[in-house]
Amino acid sequence: MTTYEYTQDETQSRVRPQVVPVSKGRIVVNWLTSTDHKTIGYMYLISSFTFFGLAGVMALLIRAELFSPGMQVLQTKEQFNQLFTMHGTLMLLMFATPLFIGFANVIMPLQIGAPDVAFPRLNALAFWFFLFGSLMALIGFLTPQGAAAFGWFGYAPLSNETYSPGIGGDLWVFGLGLQGFGTILGGVNLITTVISMRAPGMTMWRMPIFTWNTLITGILILMAFPPLASALFGLGLDRRFGGHIFDPENGGAILWQHLFWFFGHPEVYIIALPFFGIVSEIIPVFSRKPIFGYKSLVFATATIAALSMTVWAHHMYATGSVLLPFFSLMTMLIAVPTGVKFVNWIGTMWRGSITFETPMLWSLGFMVTFLFGGLTGIILAAPPLDFHVTDTYFVVAHFHYVVFGTVVFAMFAGFYFWWPKFTGKMLNETWGKIQFWMLFLGFHGTFLVQHWLGVMGMPRRYADYMVEDGFTAMNQFSTVSSMLLGAAIIPFLWNIYYTARYGKKVTVDDPWGFGGSLEWATSCPPPRHNFHALPRIRSERPALDLHHPELIPLERRQKLNTKVGA
Amino acid sequence: MFCKLISKTLALEKEEEGPSVRLLDRAGRRGKRLLKGGVVAAMALVVLTACSEHAKRGWYPGSNETTNHNELLTHFWVGAWVAALIIGVTTWVLMLWVIVAYRRRKGDKGYPRQVAYHMPLETMFTVIPIILVLTLWGFTDRVERDIGTPVEDSPLTVTVYGKQWAWDFDYEYTAEDGTTEERHLYGTQAQLTGEEGTEETLPTLYLPVDVPVEFQLKSRDVIHSFWVPAFLQKLDMVPGQTNRMYLTPEETGHFQGKCAELCGEYHSEMLFNVEIVEEDEFLDEIRQLPEGLSGAELNRNPNENPDGQQDQEVPLGDPQRIEE
Amino acid sequence: MKINAKMFSLLGIFFLIIAVVYTIWTRGTEWVGIPAFFALAAMQFLIAYYLRLVDKEYKTGASDREDGEIAEYSGTYGRFAPWSWWPLGLGFSAAIVALGVAVDWWIFIIGIFVGIFFVTGWVFEFSKGQHKH
Repeated sequence: MTTYEYTQDETQSRVRPQVVPVSKGRIVVNWLTSTDHKTIGYMYLISSFTFFGLAGVMALLIRAELFSPGMQVLQTKEQFNQLFTMHGTLMLLMFATPLFIGFANVIMPLQIGAPDVAFPRLNALAFWFFLFGSLMALIGFLTPQGAAAFGWFGYAPLSNETYSPGIGGDLWVFGLGLQGFGTILGGVNLITTVISMRAPGMTMWRMPIFTWNTLITGILILMAFPPLASALFGLGLDRRFGGHIFDPENGGAILWQHLFWFFGHPEVYIIALPFFGIVSEIIPVFSRKPIFGYKSLVFATATIAALSMTVWAHHMYATGSVLLPFFSLMTMLIAVPTGVKFVNWIGTMWRGSITFETPMLWSLGFMVTFLFGGLTGIILAAPPLDFHVTDTYFVVAHFHYVVFGTVVFAMFAGFYFWWPKFTGKMLNETWGKIQFWMLFLGFHGTFLVQHWLGVMGMPRRYADYMVEDGFTAMNQFSTVSSMLLGAAIIPFLWNIYYTARYGKKVTVDDPWGFGGSLEWATSCPPPRHNFHALPRIRSERPALDLHHPELIPLERRQKLNTKVGA
Repeated sequence: MFCKLISKTLALEKEEEGPSVRLLDRAGRRGKRLLKGGVVAAMALVVLTACSEHAKRGWYPGSNETTNHNELLTHFWVGAWVAALIIGVTTWVLMLWVIVAYRRRKGDKGYPRQVAYHMPLETMFTVIPIILVLTLWGFTDRVERDIGTPVEDSPLTVTVYGKQWAWDFDYEYTAEDGTTEERHLYGTQAQLTGEEGTEETLPTLYLPVDVPVEFQLKSRDVIHSFWVPAFLQKLDMVPGQTNRMYLTPEETGHFQGKCAELCGEYHSEMLFNVEIVEEDEFLDEIRQLPEGLSGAELNRNPNENPDGQQDQEVPLGDPQRIEE
Repeated sequence: MKINAKMFSLLGIFFLIIAVVYTIWTRGTEWVGIPAFFALAAMQFLIAYYLRLVDKEYKTGASDREDGEIAEYSGTYGRFAPWSWWPLGLGFSAAIVALGVAVDWWIFIIGIFVGIFFVTGWVFEFSKGQHKH
């Protein structure tokens, strides 16, 4: 076994290595043993999207059960509890978080002009931790008592041995612990890569927004995931070895909530910030303008990250044990940098020249959706209002607007945007637009009505409700819409197949025509070590400088000329 | 340092402007017309929905008179929503306007001016939200202090125990003539069938109208949450801790009560009824219940700690309020 | 590199301020948040200190100079594993260990032994022995 050493010839030569056809077994081995950041990134994307599909099916079962009063689809309420517990766990920890790491893995090294990530083997290890840990939590469904059923935030004492016996809960605890370690390792790897592997001239203030957000998210992971790991180990100790850490007599019920939400709130931003980054990459390309207020956008992201560490207890207003004014103030303050982001996105489009290719459509869908989630978020930040709607369908609707609006919309935006970079082929635009409108209408139909459900008195996590409640009609509307939402995945899968089979090969570096960051300065898909040649980096948009030299500002061009002349 | 930042970014702004590569023409007339139409439609929608009685209360359950806090809470809720929607609708309209007005038309060539900074604008959109947010926070804090302030010597204290999956109610009532009543009710779990008629079978919590009541919320096992939607408040019942809620019901009527925190398999069956009645009817009702209080003896002690499940003084989040 | 150190120290200062404010506001009664805030600040200062140390040790690299030229990074860039079986194996043995803790101790023991094998393999993957340079 030898190490691979990059020499000048490697990075500079324009000769492509010959592609030799390989056997199927070889391909599997190549993927299993890969240390290539792109391959690992694809593995992340594929497995997290699979988990997304699985959790989506669970969601549809939940919605089907709530179609009318009485139990129709599921046999027991325990099954219902297992479904929403695992739906939440999968969506947050096995879909959204690894999806971010997948995108960051594939795109970020390209954007900073690095040949790989800083620790390729660690990168692979992090992936396997994530995958095996997730599968461990999932196999709970195959055990006699079923999977964990205490909600994805596993409140003590409900989550201890007495109230939730069964091996499913143990597998959940230790599976998540393992996959949490994977996330921490992934975060360390990303931070190190950004700090130490940028190409010459790629200063911090020239990094694309997505890379900035990856860095900041990495720091958030370092702050948030260790408390989760320790809380899970404490719970594991209580469950398996007779520990007394989260006994209510010691105030353990509140202790668990503090530890969990100290992770849980930043987690929301861990899965939001990178997807803001994706949108911030896409909007300038299709508005044909640079991102508006690059620096203020970075500052806003950093501020959101810093503030997000100080607001965890707004999930605990109703426990009666937290400092309400402090947490409501900090929570409301987050609205300010988030508003700055909206100004930047709209400012980017302002006086632009906007076209509506599918990635842009998804980004706009994200903005429309996320804005409403943000508004309900501010309302929830006020304790007197939160006391009524917390733990109801209002909150369910709120966080689906925020999290689904961000992660899923921006995920599809990113898929359509970078698909040519991933595979060398453009996804079909027509199918993309069909999918967008199905998903957009399905989503708003499912979740908008849930705001009313919550305000009028439907608590979340109820397997059943009374006829007298008068919730039936709204629940039926929501369920029918959710089926449309679920069906919107079909055109996407078809689109992937269709593109792989009939899609035209992309021959240029930048098929969208206005890509600014470095990933658009290499071939589609990029070679094993990303670049045959790197352009000179003199602004935040090196690829644009390369492809559209006429847009380089005069002053900078003069500077360049004198330099070359001298 | 801030000034330095501004001057730096201003310098950058100049640098970025550079040569304008064939300016695109400004927003079209069609965009303006569409915008006007959108605004009119949105206003019509607001006016139409405002006519409905439910919409005026923001679809809050109960009425302004259900408890002494309801009017304040409803006003705050509606006010917060109006403010939020003004901001929201403005932003949506702005998005729509930008999408329509600055779309690339057929035959457009070249690129727009590459403007990347506008420091005054960005500063403005930082300062204005901060002011808005601080204002909202000021209101929030005032309302919070209003509804959260403890009421001393409430004639009626109801200790509510949450248990998997029902409620126990301990009444301690001191009538105006000084006689006291101590009664308790062991609640039972609801049986949801999917048919009508379940509601009548639920255990009922009786409350006298116009009498201040203090709820002491406790749990016998896991975390529950005491929620009467019409009271517009809920508070968790955490084992080993007592949470208190103070209010005065101000109109008679029938309301629902629910558990709002996941507490195990039959979480959705943890329901009760609330009847707010005149004082003498209230006394008649509770006198049918067994005497004495149910107390903490029935608390489960799953961990078999020698001390058992005891109450523990967990300091409330806001020490000021404790002192008051 | 300076900007990185600065960024982490700024975060540290922010958390330190918040920690103090929170301690005073809660009058020291909340025993999860207060230490957590101070720990956050400490972690940020730790990273900032490390970055500053590294920064002093080495002069500004081409990636932090505005006029860095790509050619400056010619030559050997670093040592990277082209592929490796060890991450998969180590991930697998860690999963067995975790499963062991959740299910039964004998699985745990198996996991530990498998884990030792893969950790050793990982560490020595590129070792050429002590005396072969």
